[in-house]
Amino acid sequence: MTKLSSNKNNSEIILELKDVVKSYNSGGTVFTAIKGANLQIKKGEFVSITGPSGSGKSTLMHIIGLLDNPTSGQVLLEGKDISKLQEHQLANLRNKTLGFVFQQFNLLPKTSALENVTLPLIYSDIPSSKRNDLGIEMLTKVNLLDKLKNTPAQLSGGQQQRVAIARALINNPKIILADEPTGNLDSKSGDEIMEFFHHLNKDEGRTIVFVTHDPDLAKQATRMIVIKDGRIC
Amino acid sequence: MTSIGNGLKNYISNQFESLGSNLVYVAPGKIFDDKGRFSNGGGGHFITTSFTQDDISVLKRGLKNTIVFPANQNPVEIKYKNTKKNTTLVGTTVEFGKYRNFLPSENNGRWFTNEENDKKSEVVVLGYQIAQDVFGDINPLNKKIIINGNNLKVIGIVDKKGSSFGGPDLDSFVFIPIKVSNRIVGNDHIQTISIWAENKEDISNIKEEAKKILLSQNYDKEAFSVFDSSQLLSSINTIITALTVALTGIAAISLVVGGIGIMNIMLVTVSERTKEIGLRKAIGANPNAILLQFLIEAVILSCLGGLIGILLGALGTFAISKFFPAQITLSSILLAFGVSSAVGIIFGVAPARKASKLSPIEALRYE
Repeated sequence: MTKLSSNKNNSEIILELKDVVKSYNSGGTVFTAIKGANLQIKKGEFVSITGPSGSGKSTLMHIIGLLDNPTSGQVLLEGKDISKLQEHQLANLRNKTLGFVFQQFNLLPKTSALENVTLPLIYSDIPSSKRNDLGIEMLTKVNLLDKLKNTPAQLSGGQQQRVAIARALINNPKIILADEPTGNLDSKSGDEIMEFFHHLNKDEGRTIVFVTHDPDLAKQATRMIVIKDGRIC
Repeated sequence: MTSIGNGLKNYISNQFESLGSNLVYVAPGKIFDDKGRFSNGGGGHFITTSFTQDDISVLKRGLKNTIVFPANQNPVEIKYKNTKKNTTLVGTTVEFGKYRNFLPSENNGRWFTNEENDKKSEVVVLGYQIAQDVFGDINPLNKKIIINGNNLKVIGIVDKKGSSFGGPDLDSFVFIPIKVSNRIVGNDHIQTISIWAENKEDISNIKEEAKKILLSQNYDKEAFSVFDSSQLLSSINTIITALTVALTGIAAISLVVGGIGIMNIMLVTVSERTKEIGLRKAIGANPNAILLQFLIEAVILSCLGGLIGILLGALGTFAISKFFPAQITLSSILLAFGVSSAVGIIFGVAPARKASKLSPIEALRYE
């Protein structure tokens, strides 16, 4: 019994950082952005990472998002150490396990909302016949069914971010990572986005990690991680 | 570039076919050197040797299964009413018309007969161009032209042959019975002898035999040439091949220049789309997918260029085909596509590799 339950406990930790250090070498001077971070994120959590600018929260996010390698320390995704993985294996994990939402939306210009949403599916070998169905399903979820053919330039900021969220959700990821998701939005659109994250967390049980410099937004999360000078407080 | 070379080759082959096949020619002077190339200073322009009726008789006796016929060539002026033209008078026999494909087609009269030759009838067959130049719209048949004070009746017009490169313009020649020409020009020298072989396989033997016979007639071996059209053709083709290689060289240089252009465009594209590359990597594109994407874009770009090039080339070929026998072949189109794809791949690799190696974080931050 104990063994079983401990297994269950382990499987609940979806992401773990162990003594992660990240330093940059720029022009001979070494700058350490993360000075030994330990962190566990459990399945179904809604976590905010907050701190003043330059505190290293974005760097931390990039390491969690497998976009950047730590200088030392371990990153465990579903218990697996990712430091030994090759570039194409990391790409596959980013594609299937993680969903990204950026401050700048990062939608492809001159490309329709539907094509933007289905972009990750191109890299996960989903046949093109199924891609559009899935894309429409996701855009329905974010209430943009009437904007399928619109390009990002024809959408408001809030709508663009919703397209980006639909794109993040399309591969049914285990974790959604959002970097200042409301940073480029007016407060009303920002609130809508936050509400939608709450809905995803509560009603669909999705694990969400988001970065913000706004303490009020950070407090909305079920757990707040504060980072200062590269250290988790 | 290649269409010009190919066109020339085909054109010349056709030219030779129109002059009759299974033919061996005997001409004065040394035309080919030992390696089968045209020898310097050779050719029929400075004719010093001529053959005699006796040579013809000896050749006729010595060569089995052949038809031997002579031709003399002399520059003359022909006159019709007030029109005067300088031309080459060819005195020959009935066989020339038949075996060298000079018989006028229907409605254009006829070649002369043996009887007309024996009777020294004053009849003339005109080349296509000279008939046009002298008579214009008038039908020349049964009209009389004056050559060196002799009135000759036009009995036929040869179909258009086209001028052969560097060779004589056969369309501007006039043909009369050899016995008449002997009288008009005042000698019976023969400039060329044609030997028609019944069997194509015999041609090399006939050439050897003809050489021996003429050497036994006390001609110096440098004084005459015995050759067939394939020999002439291969010599000309050697020249054209060299020409095509030179043209291809020029084309290759422009391909390299174009390729560098494509590489530049792709490098600019990669920098312009750094953010897009970062995003694609963040959402799961592996480096190979990015490499492939930019490589395909480069190939599409270069193939589009290739397509435009083919269209322009086709237009250019069409335009110059009025003056020059250029033609487009399927192989040159395929070559153009193949080469432009290759250029796209070769010059697209560097930018595509650059794109695939970008770090996703730095690419996403790029403004």
